Amino acid sequence: MSLRLRLLLIIGISLSVLWAAVAGWMFMDARQSLRDALDNRLAASARMVAGLVAQFPEPQDIVAAGAKPLDVIAHDGVACEVSLVRGEVTIQTVARTAGSPDLTHAEPGFSTHIYGDKRWRTYVLRQGDVQIATADSIDIREELVRELVLSAGLPFVVALLGSLILVWFGITHGLAPLEHIRDLLARRRSGDDSPLPEVKAPVELRPLLQTIEQLLERLQAAIVRERRFTDSAAHELRTPLTGVKTHIQVAKLASKQQAGNATLEAALVSADQGVQQLQNILQRLLELARLDNESIGMEISDPADTVYAAIEAVKPLYGHSAGRVVVQGAEASRPVRVARPLLLAALQNLIDNAMRYASADTPITVRIEPQGHDSMQISVLDEGPGLDAQDRALAVNRFWRKDRKVPGYGLGLSIVNAIARRHGGTLELLEREGPGLEARLVLPTALEAEQS
Amino acid sequence: MHVLLVEDDPLVASGIVAGLRLHGLTIDHVGTASLADAALSASHFDVCILDLGLPDEDGMKLLHRWRNQGRNLPVLILTARDALNHRVEGLLGGGDDYLVKPFDLDELHARLHVLTRRVAGRSKDCMDHGKLTFCSSTGEVWLEGTPITLARRELALLRALLQNPQAILSAEQLCDSVYGYGQNVESNAISVHIYHLRRKLGKHIVETVRGLGYRLGPASTVGEP
Repeated sequence: MSLRLRLLLIIGISLSVLWAAVAGWMFMDARQSLRDALDNRLAASARMVAGLVAQFPEPQDIVAAGAKPLDVIAHDGVACEVSLVRGEVTIQTVARTAGSPDLTHAEPGFSTHIYGDKRWRTYVLRQGDVQIATADSIDIREELVRELVLSAGLPFVVALLGSLILVWFGITHGLAPLEHIRDLLARRRSGDDSPLPEVKAPVELRPLLQTIEQLLERLQAAIVRERRFTDSAAHELRTPLTGVKTHIQVAKLASKQQAGNATLEAALVSADQGVQQLQNILQRLLELARLDNESIGMEISDPADTVYAAIEAVKPLYGHSAGRVVVQGAEASRPVRVARPLLLAALQNLIDNAMRYASADTPITVRIEPQGHDSMQISVLDEGPGLDAQDRALAVNRFWRKDRKVPGYGLGLSIVNAIARRHGGTLELLEREGPGLEARLVLPTALEAEQS
Repeated sequence: MHVLLVEDDPLVASGIVAGLRLHGLTIDHVGTASLADAALSASHFDVCILDLGLPDEDGMKLLHRWRNQGRNLPVLILTARDALNHRVEGLLGGGDDYLVKPFDLDELHARLHVLTRRVAGRSKDCMDHGKLTFCSSTGEVWLEGTPITLARRELALLRALLQNPQAILSAEQLCDSVYGYGQNVESNAISVHIYHLRRKLGKHIVETVRGLGYRLGPASTVGEP
């Protein structure tokens, strides 16, 4: 339900209910006053007639003169009857208004009398043996009340409807800044990174505006990160694919033009290289996907042992320069809760990175030390070019590469990071005093019971 | 056609070089923006294929710099960045065409021809010069409707002359167009090719401007012995 409709309903319903209650109250009050006034008029008329009758010489004479009662022309809805009370039962009418109901047996005082199908309000006054009865038609009285309701109620209803319309306009005007902000947001094109323009907003809306602006900024940052990732991913995946495709087309062209076996063979060898590159990237992506999904086992491994294995594993790639890796603190090594193949992969990636980026004549140190009671810290320290703060934050992103001239796929640190996180550890990239980078892997140690 | 390829990935670059050579183009390859600068200063190129993800400088920045320096050679941007905003930025930022990797070699070849043709102000592929008709993309040559077979180097030489009809081209410039920039070629190689061209298309096809170089002969005398 829209805010405008909700406000209108709340204000409209409470306004209507309150005013209806007031109107009902006033109506009841007015009706009672009207009834009292009419009853008073009835009683006053009866007393006036009684006063007049008392002036006559002897009412009995009138009765004696003719058996038929005297008919007086009267206004419709009002009746009066003068009777003689001869005994408890015999009451003889002396005079009455035309169309008057038979009031001879009406109760003394005020009462309601049904004559024919009409109801009458009666007042009966006895004075000696003369009985004076006056009556009002209740239908006429009701008619009066209805007219009263109409004449007072219609303006009230009109006023209520009018105020509802005013409330509608008021709410619309009050909500205008909100609508303006909504419109501004709706008209933004996707990818628009400008901040919101200045909006004249009431005090209550300013926090909302600020929140929206902060949200937009965060969204923008996320989009930039996402775009950078897709750009890098596209580059890393498409480049070998392009190599393969181009060389296959060269091979086709060469065989069509009979350009000689050497060209054909070179093209096929290159295509094969491209396929190998693609295969390596896919392999790493699959490793990452598996790390995200697979549950971790209870296996444990020894850091020092695995560090030596990792150094052995990268040796064939770098030949004699692999001798520059120095291991420190091997005696402090305690088993960590990471399966050996995963720890080996992580350490291999870190050592391989150091070998790649630091020049061949600088030492690489792998330092193993306990951190607190329940963690081991394995740091790979190089004296290469290092990374600035911004690059250190980006480096664990998939497909991020510092230098495209250095071969690689930009997935190594992502894999190390995923392995560390999966096992409740962390990977930190730290600045060193002097040149180089420290890649610090912190992993939880195995419990005493598991170690034995 | 003399093509400069600026591409950092050796695998992709070797594929493009081999493919375009088979298509009969003369192509030089550099892997970085600074080498591309050096190549452009040292030699004349008809068209450039530019990769955007270069190791030392962003390709778009390099292109901006070239345009600001007044270098107006046609540039085809060849990149893995396929998002619409990249393509729009590439074309508005000085690129003449945009091709996304992976691409088709035949398409790349066709687009290069279109680019050079546009620069020469032509809307069709074949050039007429008197009785001579030369189709740039297929490398076919007719003299008075009779097809003439030309060797690859001869085609490159003829193309260079036809694309610059008024200009006097030095022997080095022609050498770059035929063999690629910085190749070690025997000093008389160009005159050998010119001799063959004159033999096949009449001696007036190439005029020798003594001390300066060579020029395309007047259209009216083409085919005359």
